[in-house]
Amino acid sequence: MFTSLQLHLAKVFLKIFLRDRQSIFFTLLFPLIFTGVFLFSSGEPDPIKLGLINQSQSTIAADFSDLVIDEPLFEITQGDLQSLRQELINGDQTALILIPTNFKQEEDSTQITLLLDASQVRQAGAIEETLNRSLISIEREIRGIEPMFNLEVEDVQARPQRYIDFLLPGILAYMLMNLCIAGSGFNVVEYRRRGILKRLFVTPIQAKDFIVAIIISRMVIILTQISVILGLALTLLDIRIAGSLASLYGMVIIGTFIFLCIGFFLGSLAKTQEAIRPIVALTTFPQLILSGVFFPISALHELLQPIAHALPLSVIVSGLRGISNDGASLLSFNLTTIGILIWMAISFFIATKYFVWKEVAN
Amino acid sequence: MSKDTHQVKKIIGVQLQANEYFDRMSLSELLLLFGKLYAQDSNPLELLTRVNLEDKASAKPAALSGGQKQRFSIACALVNNPKVLFLDEPTTGLDPQAKRNLWQLVKDLNSSGMTIVLTTHNMEEAEYLCDRIAIMDQGKIIAENTPQNLILEHAAEPPKAKLHGNIEDVFLALTGHALRD
Repeated sequence: MFTSLQLHLAKVFLKIFLRDRQSIFFTLLFPLIFTGVFLFSSGEPDPIKLGLINQSQSTIAADFSDLVIDEPLFEITQGDLQSLRQELINGDQTALILIPTNFKQEEDSTQITLLLDASQVRQAGAIEETLNRSLISIEREIRGIEPMFNLEVEDVQARPQRYIDFLLPGILAYMLMNLCIAGSGFNVVEYRRRGILKRLFVTPIQAKDFIVAIIISRMVIILTQISVILGLALTLLDIRIAGSLASLYGMVIIGTFIFLCIGFFLGSLAKTQEAIRPIVALTTFPQLILSGVFFPISALHELLQPIAHALPLSVIVSGLRGISNDGASLLSFNLTTIGILIWMAISFFIATKYFVWKEVAN
Repeated sequence: MSKDTHQVKKIIGVQLQANEYFDRMSLSELLLLFGKLYAQDSNPLELLTRVNLEDKASAKPAALSGGQKQRFSIACALVNNPKVLFLDEPTTGLDPQAKRNLWQLVKDLNSSGMTIVLTTHNMEEAEYLCDRIAIMDQGKIIAENTPQNLILEHAAEPPKAKLHGNIEDVFLALTGHALRD
C-alpha cells in the first residue's frame, strides 16, 4: 500500500517529533487541559451567596425563610441589615433579601426587597427566578391550591442526551482540524523557507510521497492525542458514545486525512511564514462558527445553511456526531458519506497538485 | 533530456547554497534518508569518510561548522553515486583552510571520474578547479572554453607574453568593471 520511501520518511518525521520534548509536552498537555475545562465547567454551579434579613415576626416570613434556606442554589447567611450590607459592599455576599416588618398573610400583596451589588448583576436573573418560585409555592400552600400545570421533559429518542454529548464530537472535529493544519501547513511553510523542501525536490521524490509520509506520521501522533482525550472523556466526563469506537476512530482517520491535505494546500498557498497564520485563521475560524460545533447548523440563517453543510468541518462533525450520538456506523451510507468522499478527493488533489517545493519570491 | 526530469534527478547529485536539513536528525540518519529518496540503501559511514566527517556520524547538522556543513552537503549529493555533480558556490563563506580542503575534495571526486558542474564567483577557484569554464552574464553564456584558451583570447596584454593575466581578468574584460547588485 505504501512504498518503502514513504514509510521511511514517515518514520523520520515521527522521530523528529519524538525527539522534540517540548512539542510532546504540549501535545499531551492539550488533551488534559481540554478535559479539565469540561470536567470543571460541567459540574454543579457554586451556590449563590445571599444574606437574609428577616425583620418580620410572622409565621409566613419564617416559612419563606426556611424555603429560601433549603434552596440548594443559595448559600444563606442570616443577620441584621447593617452588617450584611457591609458584607455585600465588600463582595462577600451577592445579594441581600430583606423581609420587611409588615410581611404578613393578611395583606394582599407584600414587598420583599432584593439588594444587589451591580457588579454581580449577572446572577440577578437566577436569584429573582428562584425567589419568585419560592414565593409562589408558599402562596399555594397558604391558599391551599394545587399547581394547575406540570411540565415534564421527555426525550423522544429515549436516551440521555446532554449538551456535552452534543458538544464533544464537534470539539473533537474542530481540534482535529487545528492539529492537522498546524502539522502540515505550518510545517511545510517552515521547511520551504529553510530550503529543506528545495533540497528534497532535486532528488527523485514526488509530492505524493512527501504528503503521504507526513500523513502517516501525523496520523500516529493525532490518534494518540485523540485516544487520550477519548479515554479521559469516557472515564471522567461520563460521555456516552452510541456507535462503535472502531467507527469513531475510522471517522477520525478520515478527518485527519482531509484536514492534513487542506493544510498542505494552505501551506502551498502561503508564500511566507507571515502569510500562513491569517490564511489558516481565515479558513478555520468561520468553520468553527458555521460547522455546527457549538449549535446545530439548522440554527443558522436559511441562506447560510447549504454553504455551512458543505464545509469540510461540517462533514466531519456530522459524521462524528452520527456515530457518537445516533449510533451510526462508519459504513452506513448517507449524505455525509458523500460529502466525506468528495472532500477526501478534493483535498488530496489540491494538496498534491499545487504542492510548492521552492520558495517563490513575491 | 529536460523533458524527463524524474529520470535526470536519479543520476545527478546536487549541493545547494542553502544547506539546511531536518532538525533532530543525525548526519548518518539524514544520509540514510537521502539514500531512500533514490531507493538505495546508502552507507553513511563510507560517505562521511569520503568527506572527512566520519567522526561526526551521530552529530546534528546544527552542530557543524561552515566547512563541515558544505562537506556534509556534498556527502548528501553523493548518495546516489551521481554521474554529474552540481555544486552551487561550495566555498562561499569558508575560511582558507576549509576552502583548500573542499577544493581537494572536488579534485578527488573529479579524478574518480565524476563530472562536476560548479558555479562560483571566485575566479581563482574556477581557474584552479575547472577543465572548462563558461562565463555567464545576465543569464547568458558569453564565453566557454578551457581556462588557458580563455586567458589567451580575452586577457589583456602584453602580447608577447605566452600567458598573461588570470581568469578574473577574463571575467572583468567580458562583463565590464561596473559594480553589480
